[in-house]
Amino acid sequence: MKWKKLIVICSLAVLGGLLLFTVGEMPLFGSKDSPDKTHVIPRYLEKGEEEAGAKNIITGVILNYRGYDTEGEVSVIFSALCAVIALLGRERRRLSRSGVDAAGRPTSVIVNTVVKFLVPIILFFAVYVMLHGEDSPGGGFQGGAIVGASIIIFTLAFGLPRSTDRIPVGFRIPLESIAVLAFLSMGFLGMLFGVNFLTFILPGLSSRMAHTVRFFMLSFIEVGIGVAGGIIFTSIVFSMIREDEYELPPNLSQP
Amino acid sequence: MNFPRIFHNLNYAVSVLLFLMGLYTVAIKPNLIKKLMGLNIMETAVFLFIVSTGMVKGGHAPIVEKGVKASEMVNPIPQALILTGIVVAVSTTAVALALCIKIHEKFGTLDASKITGREEI
Repeated sequence: MKWKKLIVICSLAVLGGLLLFTVGEMPLFGSKDSPDKTHVIPRYLEKGEEEAGAKNIITGVILNYRGYDTEGEVSVIFSALCAVIALLGRERRRLSRSGVDAAGRPTSVIVNTVVKFLVPIILFFAVYVMLHGEDSPGGGFQGGAIVGASIIIFTLAFGLPRSTDRIPVGFRIPLESIAVLAFLSMGFLGMLFGVNFLTFILPGLSSRMAHTVRFFMLSFIEVGIGVAGGIIFTSIVFSMIREDEYELPPNLSQP
Repeated sequence: MNFPRIFHNLNYAVSVLLFLMGLYTVAIKPNLIKKLMGLNIMETAVFLFIVSTGMVKGGHAPIVEKGVKASEMVNPIPQALILTGIVVAVSTTAVALALCIKIHEKFGTLDASKITGREEI
């Protein structure tokens, strides 16, 4: 249908014109005094460290000022996992094999060796990113994405059965929910001390003690988010891999 | 139209273009996976736009350090919001792909016009 396509293109052109007109009226890119930088932001930047307890203001915003947002986001990835598993089910071991196995010939030695060599290093880097979220670029979600990526690389190179041997379902189920639990437990820990939900600077502690406690709480939440995020992405990918229609050639039975 | 300012705000203009490309893909392509790709391009355009609003020329990363004044840092709020947005985008994409797998199992095709029986654009 040519004319329908024409209508779509015309309406997109009108929309694009309107949006570009708006772009032409917006504050200059990179200017210091545009309205979005003059209201709440100076306070976050100046008092972020003492109020939210993290040198990295973004971590402070994510975990303290807008902690409820992040809590909702953690619930969103958890419910996405629930929806995917409700639709597809967990991976079926013995039946499902990765695309590499279905290709009918083994992965090349070079790929196998490089992946074997790289996966531990990638995981190590992920732990670094998670633990240093409070005073340098990084944080839980970024670390979790790296964890998920390393496990997915391993799965692509060695196949689903070997991957699920190392990370079985029974190991993943408890880890998938610890992000929400970490958030709730650390939030209520603040309430036990008589301050607000998700406050990292507890009253009634000496300053050295308060520093340690704050570091422990922030790291606990970051590692919880990271591990849970990585495992959730892994579980989603595992349940999406389904090559069980492929017949393996007899000389390529499972190692 | 204020053309000099559009060229100065090039990031915003490019994100508008990306958004239109994504919307075109969603509207025209019959294949469900391609529609999803279009949706992801639209999401990326919105992320680019919002992150760009926080930029300060010559600004520092919003990490408290010695020798960096708070007034010289970039806006941290868009970065924090987009971090949330990226994770939500990944989640919605995962659910949509799972639905695509189920649709392919049931109908044997991912072509929206064949599934609905109507002729798409």
